[in-house]
Amino acid sequence: MAREQGTLNPYNPWPRIGWGVAATIVVVAVVLGFGFLARYQQGGPTLDIWSAICRGIGITADTGPAGEPKPALVTPTRIAWTSATLGQIAAGDAKHGAFVALNCTACHGEHGISQSGLYPTLAGMDAAVIYKQLDDFRSGKRSWGAMNAIGQALSLQDSADVAANFATQPGGLAALTGDRVPEPGRSLREPDPAKRLVFAGDPQRGIPPCSACHGPGGYKLGAPALQRQQASYIEEQLVAFAQGLRQNDIFEQMRIIAKQLTPDEIHAVAVFYGAGVGASGGLASQ
Amino acid sequence: MQNSSRLALYHFWVAFGLFLPAVVLGAWQMLMRSPLPAPLDDTNAYYASVTRHGTVMAYVVTTFFAMGFGYAVTATSLGRPVRGVVAAWIGFVICLVGAVMAAVTVLLGRATVLYTFYPPLLASPWYYFGALLLIGGSMIWVVLMITNMSAWKRDNPGQPVPLAMFAITATAILWAWAASGVEIELLFVLIPKALGMTAQIDAALGRTLFTVTLHAIVYFWLMPAYIAFYTLVPQAAGGRLYSDTAGRLTFIMFIVFSVPVGVHHLFQDPEIGGGFKFLQSFLTFFVALPTLLTVYSLCASLEIAGRVRGGRGLLGWIGALPWQEPMILAVALSLVMLGLGGFGGLINMSYAMDNMVHNTAWVTAHFHLIWGGAVMIMYFAIAYEMWPRITGKTLRSKALARWQLWLWFAGIMIVTIPWHITGVMGMPRRVAAFDYSDPFIAPMGPLVIISVIGGLIVLMSAILLITILVRSQLGERMLAAPLQYALAVNPPRTVPASLNGFALWNCILLVLMVLAYGYPIGQFLFLKSSAPAYDVTRQATSAESK
Repeated sequence: MAREQGTLNPYNPWPRIGWGVAATIVVVAVVLGFGFLARYQQGGPTLDIWSAICRGIGITADTGPAGEPKPALVTPTRIAWTSATLGQIAAGDAKHGAFVALNCTACHGEHGISQSGLYPTLAGMDAAVIYKQLDDFRSGKRSWGAMNAIGQALSLQDSADVAANFATQPGGLAALTGDRVPEPGRSLREPDPAKRLVFAGDPQRGIPPCSACHGPGGYKLGAPALQRQQASYIEEQLVAFAQGLRQNDIFEQMRIIAKQLTPDEIHAVAVFYGAGVGASGGLASQ
Repeated sequence: MQNSSRLALYHFWVAFGLFLPAVVLGAWQMLMRSPLPAPLDDTNAYYASVTRHGTVMAYVVTTFFAMGFGYAVTATSLGRPVRGVVAAWIGFVICLVGAVMAAVTVLLGRATVLYTFYPPLLASPWYYFGALLLIGGSMIWVVLMITNMSAWKRDNPGQPVPLAMFAITATAILWAWAASGVEIELLFVLIPKALGMTAQIDAALGRTLFTVTLHAIVYFWLMPAYIAFYTLVPQAAGGRLYSDTAGRLTFIMFIVFSVPVGVHHLFQDPEIGGGFKFLQSFLTFFVALPTLLTVYSLCASLEIAGRVRGGRGLLGWIGALPWQEPMILAVALSLVMLGLGGFGGLINMSYAMDNMVHNTAWVTAHFHLIWGGAVMIMYFAIAYEMWPRITGKTLRSKALARWQLWLWFAGIMIVTIPWHITGVMGMPRRVAAFDYSDPFIAPMGPLVIISVIGGLIVLMSAILLITILVRSQLGERMLAAPLQYALAVNPPRTVPASLNGFALWNCILLVLMVLAYGYPIGQFLFLKSSAPAYDVTRQATSAESK
């Protein structure tokens, strides 16, 4: 048998059937999907055929309130995680950052390891976090007397450099990675409320587990590691989020979470993280 | 032992060897998300476990089983040794290395991506390299299936290719089409980002590419079962195949209709236009055709066998079937699950109805019923049929095998019926922890506990399976009758060229793919780019970790 010599010959029955059936199906689907469905889609205006085809393809210029006055844009921060921003942070010069960091030791401690509950430990904090907070201080999106002035004194490059420097300092916060050695008691069944909130959250109140972003075992761009952070600093920030005094969380997630926590829970979580979370067993002590 | 038998045996053992621990993990996951206490209750461990369970079941077990089955079918249906045995062994080793790489990375907690290739979830590059090796290695098998079939056609001009060989080659071709999506995604989207070569990842492009694989892969898993339906079941029943042409058309329709339909997995994603979603949804309905045709032919074949065995009356032939044969029992149980699961699938693929069940336990129930149930039980039956032939030992024993199949059926039904219900009640899938004191969740608690019981039954059945296979292999040597494939009622003497090869159907599929996926993928490259995504997870690479 010659190898499929009839494949494209329309007079042979199987190629005719095959192409015919496939073409019919496609034509029917196209007419329905790009014509009928897109034109009379429920909940939208009935469109002329050309706009309907565009909507079917996914070009949705027809949606959205045209010509309505738009309110002024208010954002909780100026930072967006564009590749330009991430590129600048990644290009931070840790050596020059060490020079800038000399100005920080008075409050944030030698090598960024804070000795006071008023100031956070910066050693080991993700560079993107430090960079964003410095810009929020610079733009006034986050308020803390001295830091607003310092933020304005630093250039964007200085911010990236000092962030790179602190990010690589050892001995501070535990690095955020996706790794976590499994350990019992990290679910909703856990009776200790701090441990339960950190590892399982509270679905009824819509509170995700802290560890999903702040570690251990979780990482989200822009969220700081909290293991071995100053407990009273964590507590103070949670209160500030709860009371709306601090508003620079991009999607308002920390304000929504903190608002729902009781003072006891805030305290317990802060102490839990301050002690190093897994200090008793896990990844904290790297 | 013949070399092709050994090939098949090694592949089967890798598949079933990894299958058992994955079932154990599945049972633990069910316990973890239930109201009952679970050992090692760590929510992160749940997601790592889902990743391992899914990776092993969806990619490793299936790929190895299909490859082993393919070599066995090639040797037995063509009646001559597999050509390219050396290449086959090389492919086996590559796949094994890939599978181990991926599995170890998941075990180390560095690839908790829920076994999907949906960015912006991102795993360690080792996981992706492992997947690439596994898929790449299986392409050697694809090439071997195609070359074995065309070599036979060259040597037997004008002869119809045996249906079993035609079908396994169709499976291989389907897999080549299906795998193309995830291969491109791995090479150009995921691995560059995982290695840190790119700062951003086009999540929508990655997701769209993955859907090329995502639905067709299901039919790749399914096709060994369908091959058994057409070629092994009528023989085991002592009858004949109702129609050889129906078999060829079935596998051809699977090739044509199972790939350009994957976007129905992205109905809730904004990056694809409604028209294309409808187009692919519409095409998806035609995937039901080969299944309906198969059920029809299968029932007709069984009726022929039943009547040959003396069955009388409208339904008397059913009782006359040889129910002591694991293959016949498996088919009946498989059809029940395929039927229920198939109707559920019609809901998932409907553009509007999918809204109700998207991302709920319903979806998990659906694919556990179809794949874990209908297909897996046929894998077991195929293994029981093949084992005496490839090991030269008797199966010990058919009674145990029937127990195993019944337990599996019962377990899967008890697992999936409650899941369907909780899914409609709104229980999300891929969630580790539920607060059963919540008045919304509380009514789901008893149903979830019932499904845990099903999970334990499934686990018992899996242990029994391995016991039977090991016992048989350690048993007495015995000459088994060579594997026979069912003869058709009207054995084909000549078949049209189009039904004896795949050139026409590959052309039609190519055109359909361009129509269905050309714009949805092309839009990211030329017209618009989706929102840039950053890492939502971070998996330490070996370079990063201290």
